[in-house]
Amino acid sequence: MTERFQTVGNPLLEDPKMRVRNASVFYADKQAIFDVDLDIGKNQVISMIGPSGCGKSTFLRCLNRMNDTIDICRVEGQLELDGQDINDRKIDVVELRARVGMVFQKPNPFPKSIYENVAYGARIHGLTDNKVQLDDLVEQCLQRCGLWKEVKDRLHEPATGLSGGQQQRLCIARAIAVNPEVILMDEPCSALDPIATATVEELIHELSQNFTICIVTHSMQQAARVSERTAYFHLGKLIEVNDTSKVFTNPEHQLTEEYITGRIG
Amino acid sequence: MSDRKDIALRRAESLQKRHAAETRFRWYGRAAISFGMLCIVFLFTDIFSKGAGAFQQTYIDMEIHFDPEVLGLTPQSTPAEIEQASFGSFFKKALRQQYPDLTSRKEKRQLYGLVTSDMPLTLRNQVMAEPSLIGTTKSIRMIADDDIDVYYKYSYGRDNEDGTSVGRATELQQSIVAELAQQGRIGTRFNNTFFTAADSREPELAGIKGAIVGSMLTLMITLIISFPIAVATAIYLEEFAPKNKLTDFIEVNINNLAAVPSVIFGLLGLAIFINFFGLPRSVPLVGGLVLSLMTLPTIIISSRAAIKAVPPSIRDAALGMGASKVQTVLHHVLPLALPGMLTGTIIGMAQALGETAPLLMIGMVAFIVDVPASVGDSATVLPVQIFLWSDSPERGFVEKTSAAIMVLLTFLIFMNSFAVWLRKRLERRW
Repeated sequence: MTERFQTVGNPLLEDPKMRVRNASVFYADKQAIFDVDLDIGKNQVISMIGPSGCGKSTFLRCLNRMNDTIDICRVEGQLELDGQDINDRKIDVVELRARVGMVFQKPNPFPKSIYENVAYGARIHGLTDNKVQLDDLVEQCLQRCGLWKEVKDRLHEPATGLSGGQQQRLCIARAIAVNPEVILMDEPCSALDPIATATVEELIHELSQNFTICIVTHSMQQAARVSERTAYFHLGKLIEVNDTSKVFTNPEHQLTEEYITGRIG
Repeated sequence: MSDRKDIALRRAESLQKRHAAETRFRWYGRAAISFGMLCIVFLFTDIFSKGAGAFQQTYIDMEIHFDPEVLGLTPQSTPAEIEQASFGSFFKKALRQQYPDLTSRKEKRQLYGLVTSDMPLTLRNQVMAEPSLIGTTKSIRMIADDDIDVYYKYSYGRDNEDGTSVGRATELQQSIVAELAQQGRIGTRFNNTFFTAADSREPELAGIKGAIVGSMLTLMITLIISFPIAVATAIYLEEFAPKNKLTDFIEVNINNLAAVPSVIFGLLGLAIFINFFGLPRSVPLVGGLVLSLMTLPTIIISSRAAIKAVPPSIRDAALGMGASKVQTVLHHVLPLALPGMLTGTIIGMAQALGETAPLLMIGMVAFIVDVPASVGDSATVLPVQIFLWSDSPERGFVEKTSAAIMVLLTFLIFMNSFAVWLRKRLERRW
């Protein structure tokens, strides 16, 4: 084994929402993440940046056990949500994923109506008692995502008929309908045009008042715009974590500096 | 480096070759399709030209005097007395009265042979339903014997150079037919018998209803057994089973099963269902069980393909919201995969409908004259009926064979079109 890499900056926080210690991820025999220590603060936006293949998406998927769906993938280390170990085989992933929601890179609404997309999570988790409450919840979530005005007359039309940006906002509405504590976003804007991107970024900013958000992005401008802290990954190692302004103006590690000035990536 | 002109020349040359190759390839394709179409046209023309006649039936009108003395009955007779009466000799006598010139035994036999041997029974039933007929004279429309039927349909009124005729109608019978035709007492009508009767030794009385009902009962059993098992297998293997040596082994075996000759399934059915479990022979229940063994791999393979075609992003979306594995499959994957699964099922059913060999093994090749009423009754199925008729020496069965093929093809075409329609109908874009 190579000597353990020491992350520079401030990876640790006091009273974090999620605490990650010594996390390593293996695809069969190949190690994709090396001993990551990271704390994720309550109601904060943290962005993960880094060149392609550096493991930032893999790391994100550890946080709600989505890596379970990949047979050959193995996660080691200690991952905690409010002090509770989530990497424990015995934990109920259904409950975990209700608390830690996810928005994917490509908008993936269910091929059902707009209403059904948002209502689905509430239905399976039994969050509402009757149709009126469910209608209220759907309206509320769509409104928070700024989608209500655009879709209120076509709630029962297929969600796949929406534009890319609208679909992605619908996916976010669907995620918050379950009322999670943490929302993971895996490059949520990479399939969107700049205008739709701006809308989603605004939305992230608003949501950060009530939710803890981890966002993986390829765009450093986006990271700078939406997040309070930034983590830089390189070849499976967490190189540097710090306040966003610090990372982009005064990076401590040479690799970080090379990346943000455009020499890597 | 060669100069520019040279390169341009080479490029032009290679371009020409490419164009030629593309044109040639297009023609290969057209030739292949034309050959296929030609075969189909030939097949259909042959079947239709041979089978069309079976939908027409020759009838003969005869004046029958219901002589109370010959029958020994009066209009007041009870059904039991009518049952006892000898309609056979009565009918022969009635025919003889019409043709008093025919005196020799041989001539008389030819006379009786004009109409179907079932006639005395039909007359009895008519009298039973209407006893007031006794003592009256009535023109009765009778089904012609198969020899007369094929003669009238294919040879009568046509000049055959060598003087031969289709079927076994004798010269005497031919002259009677000519006489009847002059009087307008012989003709053809739509062949109801073909669709309302089961098999018979007499071609003019043989029908396809028994085989159609037998096929339906068999397919029903096949569907009830194979669809749920196959879908459960496909879902489990695709969504839940760990990928390891055991599941690989199962997968290989399922694919192999799809390639096993169907007659082997028949032998398996014979050994297990009939010899071991003691189920009866020749029944749709066993036929359906055997065919479901045969159809299972087909449905499993197409269902798995349909499940695989559901984009993983849909599964991610559902799992990411905290849906359990079963919820993900039932709420999202299954509805999207269902059209593909149903298509595979219908195609598997169509295959089962056309299957003959395994059913021969379990005795569904028996000669059965009753329309089956349940899955436990002896029955035969359409393709086996075709096989049986094609094997019969009577000329009358030739057209029946082709007509049965037409009925089978109609069912197959209908099922396959239904599969296409269903897929179009249920398909959702995402």
